[in-house]
Amino acid sequence: MLANALPTLIFYLLAAISLTLAWSVVTGRRILRAAVSLMGVLAASAGLYLLLDSPFLAGVQVLVYVGGIVVLLVFAVMLTRTTELLEDHPTRGRQLLGGAVALTFFGLSYCMMTAPVFANRALTALPKNDVAAIGRALLDTGENGYALPFEVVSLLLLAAMIGGIVIARKPAALVKSEVHHG
Amino acid sequence: MAWQVKTIAQRTGELLPGSPWTAALYVLLTILAVTAFVTVAGLVLIYAERKIAAHFQCRVGPMRVGWHGVLQSIADAIKLLMKEDVVPRDADALLHILAPVLSFAGMLLVMIALPMSPSLQVADMNIGVLYVTAVSGLGVLGILLGGWSSNNKWSLLGAMRAGAQIISYEVSATLALLVVVVFAGTLQLSGIIQSQDTGWWIWRAHGCGLVAFAIFMIAGTAEINRTPFDLAEGESELTAGFHTEYSGLRFSFFFLSEFLNMFVLAAMASTLFFGGWMPLHVGPSGVGGHFAAFNGVMDLLPPGLWFTLKTTAIIFLLMWFRWTFPRLRVDQLMRLEWKILLPIGFVNLFVSAACVVTGFYFFAR
Repeated sequence: MLANALPTLIFYLLAAISLTLAWSVVTGRRILRAAVSLMGVLAASAGLYLLLDSPFLAGVQVLVYVGGIVVLLVFAVMLTRTTELLEDHPTRGRQLLGGAVALTFFGLSYCMMTAPVFANRALTALPKNDVAAIGRALLDTGENGYALPFEVVSLLLLAAMIGGIVIARKPAALVKSEVHHG
Repeated sequence: MAWQVKTIAQRTGELLPGSPWTAALYVLLTILAVTAFVTVAGLVLIYAERKIAAHFQCRVGPMRVGWHGVLQSIADAIKLLMKEDVVPRDADALLHILAPVLSFAGMLLVMIALPMSPSLQVADMNIGVLYVTAVSGLGVLGILLGGWSSNNKWSLLGAMRAGAQIISYEVSATLALLVVVVFAGTLQLSGIIQSQDTGWWIWRAHGCGLVAFAIFMIAGTAEINRTPFDLAEGESELTAGFHTEYSGLRFSFFFLSEFLNMFVLAAMASTLFFGGWMPLHVGPSGVGGHFAAFNGVMDLLPPGLWFTLKTTAIIFLLMWFRWTFPRLRVDQLMRLEWKILLPIGFVNLFVSAACVVTGFYFFAR
């Protein structure tokens, strides 16, 4: 009995932690505290993946989101002035826009959750809980392989990276004038 | 001879169906043991660092408390615990308290995965190497938050430097890790050790292992913020960097995790490149191996001792670095990573992949 009750208990614990921290991400007034709460939310979802018997996904979640995204987020906040990020009194237009986006998202998620398309047909294509199997599936070009999605995602990331470099790069004229004036 | 790996997690799992309370007690004892190990290892490392530093500089180091000053660390620890714990007035108190805890947690969670001997490892995860890389990312978050929440310009600068440095060098360290993963064909730490039954990866891979080890040591030293990469707390420029405003217990948390990170780095390096607890073997040990007798002699030393010896040797190397190389400038630091280490790391990874595909390495199966 204990063995059955424990995962359920852990699930509700993780869910409660996620929801509480997610609430404080949105409502928190200090941006860095919000980032820390976000880290908690992401770590809790890694815990949920562990509960679903996918340790690899949990590891990647911690590596990419907690160790990568949140660290970059904190870094970006530290580089900018915090006062610019605080918006105490958003304009009416922004409030309306925000509300509309939130409503649309809620509607979409509601439709997704209630629509009966969540058949288990994809389950056969899922690799076992084994890193080697996941690796082979990622490079498999066959029926159940993920080579194409993997390459598409790589291309997307490459484009994002080049975009980032182009935006961050100083214009050539500016570099030249800096060289001249020392 | 095949090594039977049995972790503490497995033993707990065996206890769980019969007597859950015994299992719970076992877990509690494990937690206590890990905590005790971390504390004692921290004290020993601090003492060793001071003694070794002293002898490198032709001094004698701590001599007064106990025989040759062996009790000095304990005296210092008691002093730190008695100190007033100050939170700066305009600091973000919550984050100020959270930061050292995060840093410490990052180190402690890695500790769980370290294989110290076939019978002494808390948990042997299928995703071992990935887990270690992922969890050690918490440490940098602790440093960043500590620097920010102190509300001090030196802390902030130190934290920014540390963050930039750790994020950059993580790439090279991971590339070096991947070389061993490619050769061993597994992410499991005990599996990586078992794969070195016929020789350590540093020798078996025609130089790939050697290059990867060098990159791993350089990048690892940068990740744990030790000299020559200690810009984050360069005391001549930033007083003490990100932990300028920390005192008492919370400072000791940062301090302890920094020293234990050195242990973690050394343990990981010995696990990946020097076979961890695996004795020095040349070729297969069974009947027909040319060096079977040699391997048998090497097996006389217990695996736990092998692990300790290798890890200690690498820790000594890290302390040696500190008194050999001058500190790098920020631009030199970034150039070293992005223009030198990273290209070498990528080429090395490709060459090792080619070696694995063609079976062109010593004692390939």
